[in-house]
Amino acid sequence: MTRYGMVIDLKRCYGCYSCVMACKQANRTPPGVFWSRVLRGEMGVYPNSVRQALPVLCNQCAEPDCMKVCPTGATYQTDEGIVRVDKNKCIGCKYCMMACPYGARYSVPEYKSYFPEGLPVSDYEKHCMQVWEEKRGCGVATKCDFCIDRRAEGREPACNQACPAKARVFGDLDDPESEVSYLIKTKRGFVLRPEVGTEPKVYYLPPR
Amino acid sequence: MGSVKLEGQVQVEWRWLIAAYLFLAGVGGGAYLVGVIADLSGGPDWMAVSKIGVFLGLPCVLIGTLFLLADLGRPTNAWRVWMKPGTSWISRGTIIIVLFMIFAAIQTALWIWPFAGPLADNESARHLIGVLGAVFAFPTVVYTGLLLGYSQPIALWNTALLPVLFFVSAVSTGIMAIMLIGRSQGVEGTQLALLTVIDAVILVFEMFVLIVFLYNAYRTVESRFSAKRILAGAVAPAFWLGVIACGLAIPFFLELFGGEGIVASLAALLGLFGGLCLRYSVLAGGTLSPIMAGGYEFARVARPKDPMPAMGKLPPS
Repeated sequence: MTRYGMVIDLKRCYGCYSCVMACKQANRTPPGVFWSRVLRGEMGVYPNSVRQALPVLCNQCAEPDCMKVCPTGATYQTDEGIVRVDKNKCIGCKYCMMACPYGARYSVPEYKSYFPEGLPVSDYEKHCMQVWEEKRGCGVATKCDFCIDRRAEGREPACNQACPAKARVFGDLDDPESEVSYLIKTKRGFVLRPEVGTEPKVYYLPPR
Repeated sequence: MGSVKLEGQVQVEWRWLIAAYLFLAGVGGGAYLVGVIADLSGGPDWMAVSKIGVFLGLPCVLIGTLFLLADLGRPTNAWRVWMKPGTSWISRGTIIIVLFMIFAAIQTALWIWPFAGPLADNESARHLIGVLGAVFAFPTVVYTGLLLGYSQPIALWNTALLPVLFFVSAVSTGIMAIMLIGRSQGVEGTQLALLTVIDAVILVFEMFVLIVFLYNAYRTVESRFSAKRILAGAVAPAFWLGVIACGLAIPFFLELFGGEGIVASLAALLGLFGGLCLRYSVLAGGTLSPIMAGGYEFARVARPKDPMPAMGKLPPS
């Protein structure tokens, strides 16, 4: 069985937001929707303080809280362990957005133009709106699915490809020979919020 | 800290619409419970109180449900909400409130509706349906606290005190709604005095639960952002003016020293507004607890209201 996961090396990440923009381009997400985000954190007190960037995305949990709280069964897991939303079943109650420990879910009532009101909507943006309505839908919960369409074409996830520091590695966690498995085993890989028990599949390597 | 103010990632999805539902479900369920208890234990003097209480159950919860529907992103899919009662509190809650509304509707149709129905004389049948309705009125009030409490990242809600707080507030606002409507329906004298005293006692208890709730939130690292947001942040006006002043302090003193007539109605009205503000404060105070990774604390830096920077006025075309 393939069980896709991602490893993000915090030592390499310098917080350039390339993954954020690549995700937006690849998935044509509307304003305010960030399936891939970068959080900023700090440690210590000035002058002995350091800052660190933390790229976050949907952790594709093995025991997802968002799926448990979904009242309609619209959220489901594929055979590859990807958590997806069936837009025809979702009622837009936004409970999953409350339950997700990583804040990875977004819902917008409508696809607003990126440009100020009054400007004509460009053909490309019309195309984006159409694709969004077909694949994701407005008013329903949307989330990262490790770029399922790009992977169907044989390409890697957009954030993975865009990362200039090669901080991200995408691969099969079930394959003991894969690079992700190797990194998690040898470089002290850890997950975010292990205490909530959702068994996330996005691993991080320590910043120092 | 410097010039950048760290604030947790605030939940913005559930606001006034959901607060209105929580409030109305509380008023309806609480009034129904009070009405049934008055019917079971009070004599014929308490008939007006129990009728008003039972009558309030259905319309309040029904209107609250409409607020829920208005909040949905895809209301046309709403019938699917029953699908997973095994794990989802929204599914369970929908079943609970529908069963409650069915029993409340039976009560209303056969007892209270302008013509005296068959239940007016048949006391044991009325009591039976009342108890069955109360069995669902209680979870109608409480499940919302459990629903919010299931959300693990929002530590403010993830506490066993929330259902208690909602229940106490529901009973208190239920009594206030009965007092408000009862003024024109002949609820006065002994009944009104007793209701006032009971409500004043419940208000003190609610204050106590609220203090413990916020103290607990403040002492927990994960929910400290939320507590600060409620006590001194963006939600502070709704909390101090709405919940503490209008909802608890003023009604308490009015009930303690004022008593009858228009003063009691004023106290009830303010208290109901306070109940709404309480639900709003709890919802709007919800912030995701900071993520810890590698010794760093990651909390979203407070961002401007509009994610898009203003681009200036467009030239006339």
